[in-house]
Amino acid sequence: MDELDSDSAANLAINTRPDAEGVPVVVVSGELDVSNVDDLRASVASVTANRPEQIIFDLRDLRYIDSAGIAVLLGAASESSVRLRDPSPAVRRVVELTGLTEVLPMAS
Amino acid sequence: MSALQETSAPPLRSEAATAPKAAVGPIWRWRASRPAVIVLLAGLLLTIGLALIALAIYNNNEDRLVKLRVKELALVLSSNVPTTQTPLASAAELAEATHGNPAKFRAFMAPQVGKGRPFASVSLWPLGKHALAPTAVVGTAPRLASMPARARQFLEHGLRPGVINLTAFLHSPNPSVGIAFKSSGHGPGYVVYSENPLPANRRSQQESNSAFSDLNYALYLGHSRRNSDVIITSVKHLPIKGRQAKDVVPFGAAVFTVVVSPKASLGGAFFQALPWIIGVAGTLMSLAAALLTDRLAQRRARAEELAGILDGVAAENRRMYAEQRGISQTLQHALLPEALPQIRGLRVIASYVPAASGVEVGGDWYDLVAIDETSAFLLIGDVAGHGLRAATTMAMLRHAALAYIVQDSSPASVLHRLSDFVNRERHDYFATVLCALIDVDSHRLTMASAGHLAPLILHNGSGEFAKLEPDAPIGVPWEAEYREATVSVPPKAVVVAFTDGLVERRGEVIDVGLARLRDLATRQHLALDDLLSQLAVGLAAEDHNDDTAMVGVQWTS
Repeated sequence: MDELDSDSAANLAINTRPDAEGVPVVVVSGELDVSNVDDLRASVASVTANRPEQIIFDLRDLRYIDSAGIAVLLGAASESSVRLRDPSPAVRRVVELTGLTEVLPMAS
Repeated sequence: MSALQETSAPPLRSEAATAPKAAVGPIWRWRASRPAVIVLLAGLLLTIGLALIALAIYNNNEDRLVKLRVKELALVLSSNVPTTQTPLASAAELAEATHGNPAKFRAFMAPQVGKGRPFASVSLWPLGKHALAPTAVVGTAPRLASMPARARQFLEHGLRPGVINLTAFLHSPNPSVGIAFKSSGHGPGYVVYSENPLPANRRSQQESNSAFSDLNYALYLGHSRRNSDVIITSVKHLPIKGRQAKDVVPFGAAVFTVVVSPKASLGGAFFQALPWIIGVAGTLMSLAAALLTDRLAQRRARAEELAGILDGVAAENRRMYAEQRGISQTLQHALLPEALPQIRGLRVIASYVPAASGVEVGGDWYDLVAIDETSAFLLIGDVAGHGLRAATTMAMLRHAALAYIVQDSSPASVLHRLSDFVNRERHDYFATVLCALIDVDSHRLTMASAGHLAPLILHNGSGEFAKLEPDAPIGVPWEAEYREATVSVPPKAVVVAFTDGLVERRGEVIDVGLARLRDLATRQHLALDDLLSQLAVGLAAEDHNDDTAMVGVQWTS
């Protein structure tokens, strides 16, 4: 996740930490697309390796997500219960228009 | 997959092959460039020319100066004539007046004769006598007195009156010069004769403060320049060599020939050295200019060489890029339907716009299947991601979907089966798919969406996205339910189904892109093919980094 391999990758920041109840929270900010999605995939893999029941994605500052980014969230959802916390309007609309509101429940 | 690997390998090899070739250039093998040689030759020619001009000017100037100096010397010599002549002439007139009184003569001459005085020996010779001999002598005895024949010839026959006359004893070990002045009168008259010794070798010790100390000179008696006729000279060996000038000076009845030669440059050492200074400085400057030219020429040659290499690398890169992009697009076209079936009552045009940059194949696809005389099945889908993986997944989904459409043309059923099909094994992709069953005659569209954007329906200059709730994309890891929605389509309406590359832009909510699409599509009334072209140019072409597929369907009635 430290390796930034393109200019668009510079716009992506990923931070993983457990919340007060020990639920892992992946904070993703910036812009997420096919060019830097591998960074998020690596972060998610290190989280799901512990087989948590739940993963929270904090997407407050994620300004853009494309289908490759959605694919990583779906991959996490196949392992654990996933919630998107406080997604930005751009992310929220993509999730809605992709018919994923049940798979990737959003909470503000 | 192997196709891409094979094509990417040779360019890498050729790049490795050109790089060392570029490095092994003639770096420090010094070889003067042509411009440098030309500059050197031109500089040397100019230097030689300037040096020769300076030398000519110097020579000309020196010649002129030495001529001036010999005139000056001649003038000084001439000015000595009265100094010598006046005492002798006065003594001769005194003798005439006193009838050759020896005592008076001696008294008159004595103050001027002796060491440190003008004359060494002065004698009085009365003419017209039987024996020619001096009657009075002041100073040393004249040598002429011991030479009767020469005395008679010189004094009685050889004298011009009114001026001093010269005779020289140059062949003796103690050379001397005799000067005679004959009185003017009616009788035979008197001659006052003076004799002055010359230095034994006839070399004068020059005084260093003399006005002519910068000259070598030789004074000859008469017009000749024979060594035997030299009276006095400043040089050891005659004749005088080198740059010289000559003048003839009247001295009483005789003449002297004076020859001078400068000991050093008369115009000054600087002007003497100037041709050499010009030569040396010019040569050095020519060499420096040639070196500089050479350095510049080589630098330029190296820059041109480098530019050539860079051009080559850039061209190679462009070629590789174009090649890979060409391969990707060829593959993409191979995976898409070659031609769409003709459906009565419908006009259908599909368009695929690759990403503006990049060489990867995309995962977008579309299909149109004729179900029966009055219905057709439209499908458009998008596998998340790029590259061969997305493209092969797309090909698999496409062919599976075609099989399901033939079995059951219900959109929800097709999506359901597709979802079951991909979920039978573990996978990590997903795809959005829109399925639409078109009932041509009844103008109805029955649709189901697996996470795909709803199509745009254009009619009479207005546009609306179809009311369609999307269900989960194909590939979400659990059982998904797919719902159908049916919309009525007005006559001659246009339905545009598309993938998200047409509307998604970084940094904006997708609704903005959807609104942009609707605005552009309704801005003017266009034929179907023009409409799709306009959308491709206006929305997909501008620096978009995603592939885009579009299918436009128009009812002809």
